[in-house]
Amino acid sequence: MKRRQMLLGAAASGAAGVAAMAALSPIGSASAQTPVAPPASPAATAGGTLDRIIKDKKIRITAEVTSPPFGILDKDNQPDGSEIATARQLAKDLGVDLELVQVTSPQRIPALLAGRADVAISSLSITVDRAKTVMFAPPHGALSIVVAGAKGKQIRNAADMAGKKIGLTRATLEEATVPKMAPPGTNIVMFDDIAATMQAMVSGQVDAAGMSAFAAKSVADRNPKANLENKFTVTTAFYAAAVRPGDYDLLQFLRTWVFLNKNNGVLAGIYRKYTEVALIDLPVL
Amino acid sequence: MKYVFQFGIVRDHLPELIHGAWLTLQLSFSAFGLGFALAVVLAFLRDAGPTPVRRAVGAYVELVRNTPFLVQLFIIYFSLPELGIRMEATTAALIGMSLNFAGYATEILRSGIDAVPNPQIEAGHSLGFSRLEIFRHIIVFQALRTVYPALASQFVLLMLGSSIVSAISAEELTGITNTLQSTTFRAFEFYFVATGMYLAMALGARALLHAVYWSAFERGQPTRGAWAR
Repeated sequence: MKRRQMLLGAAASGAAGVAAMAALSPIGSASAQTPVAPPASPAATAGGTLDRIIKDKKIRITAEVTSPPFGILDKDNQPDGSEIATARQLAKDLGVDLELVQVTSPQRIPALLAGRADVAISSLSITVDRAKTVMFAPPHGALSIVVAGAKGKQIRNAADMAGKKIGLTRATLEEATVPKMAPPGTNIVMFDDIAATMQAMVSGQVDAAGMSAFAAKSVADRNPKANLENKFTVTTAFYAAAVRPGDYDLLQFLRTWVFLNKNNGVLAGIYRKYTEVALIDLPVL
Repeated sequence: MKYVFQFGIVRDHLPELIHGAWLTLQLSFSAFGLGFALAVVLAFLRDAGPTPVRRAVGAYVELVRNTPFLVQLFIIYFSLPELGIRMEATTAALIGMSLNFAGYATEILRSGIDAVPNPQIEAGHSLGFSRLEIFRHIIVFQALRTVYPALASQFVLLMLGSSIVSAISAEELTGITNTLQSTTFRAFEFYFVATGMYLAMALGARALLHAVYWSAFERGQPTRGAWAR
């Protein structure tokens, strides 16, 4: 008898989930209105961030290591890639030690805003939306976003995405651009990092995926059996270092640094080494 | 640097967050039901099955409990398609969570079964009960009562652990929160609210499970049970 009561109780638990839900929403909105003190950030201390970097002899830069060729882990599990090389060059020119702050793709801007890193150098494309929260240095690289997929899939342009599953990575340029051009009926599937998006494309969980042309090339080269090809180019974007709003001293240093390293060919050299493509002319921000 | 909090944007996206939280609850309760049913069968087989079956169940429990949940999910979602088994992310998440919970729940149930006094089982044998009948009529209810608090805790862990399934593109609360914070760049606001929602769901689930415990095991009983501590 008691056992039956218990089973009934378990069956009721599903229905009670609705009640828990109803109880939940006012709590959610109440906490939404509660003012919360801003988190203490190292940058809030007196003096500029640039002064602090030079005084502490240490700069903290974001490292996103799942998006070849910008950031990867090498054979010894050490961060490598064009953006890591750019970060190393920046630290070297500043004459300070480099601390790489490993972040996932969606965490690049939050890690900067939270004060975990002084500069974000993680192939952050310059967009208006991002410019509302961080300040961009002039661009030091360029990338194209493509939609790639297996050769058998009939996708020649944006309109062909209707009815297809398109994988995208959160907090990337493709997330900001592909959904806008996708026709109604496109099934957009979001992943947390580019590695998962690539895996979904290779395993056929999605029909095609949006990613940088370099990422598409790297995944196609490593998985010849998957028969991947670029379907169409979505956009070409320029990426840059980003700093917290108000860090003008550091931003001005980065402006000068990009200017110098553009002219002496260092940035073009890093770009060519990792992407095997020549760097196009970079516009001035 | 001063960070200016803008919670207004969270209010605009509240329906999406609630939708995500609803999927979290659906996944958690469904996985709890499926996983628990599987765990009862596995616990019985581990206790009373033939030796190869016992070993197989034991191996399954150790495999589930000693490998990362994320890797289990990746195998279901990314590796099974190689064998021609393809499923939606939400289905893969449900299967992964159920199998994972079943592994832990089997082990929890085992401790409850071990706690049933041997003479009761011997009494069952002497009355001519089969192994299944002994399990059904003597062991299960007492074992459940013993392990219920542990199972309830495991359920809360399951619900909080469900945040991981966003990695395979299931749009539950964490997945929705990640998408919203990455498109609005108001990371702190969305994570704070998501934290509040998880807290409310966990406390609500605890209260609910406590109520189930009370109605199943304590109502009408003269003594107070293990939960009262």
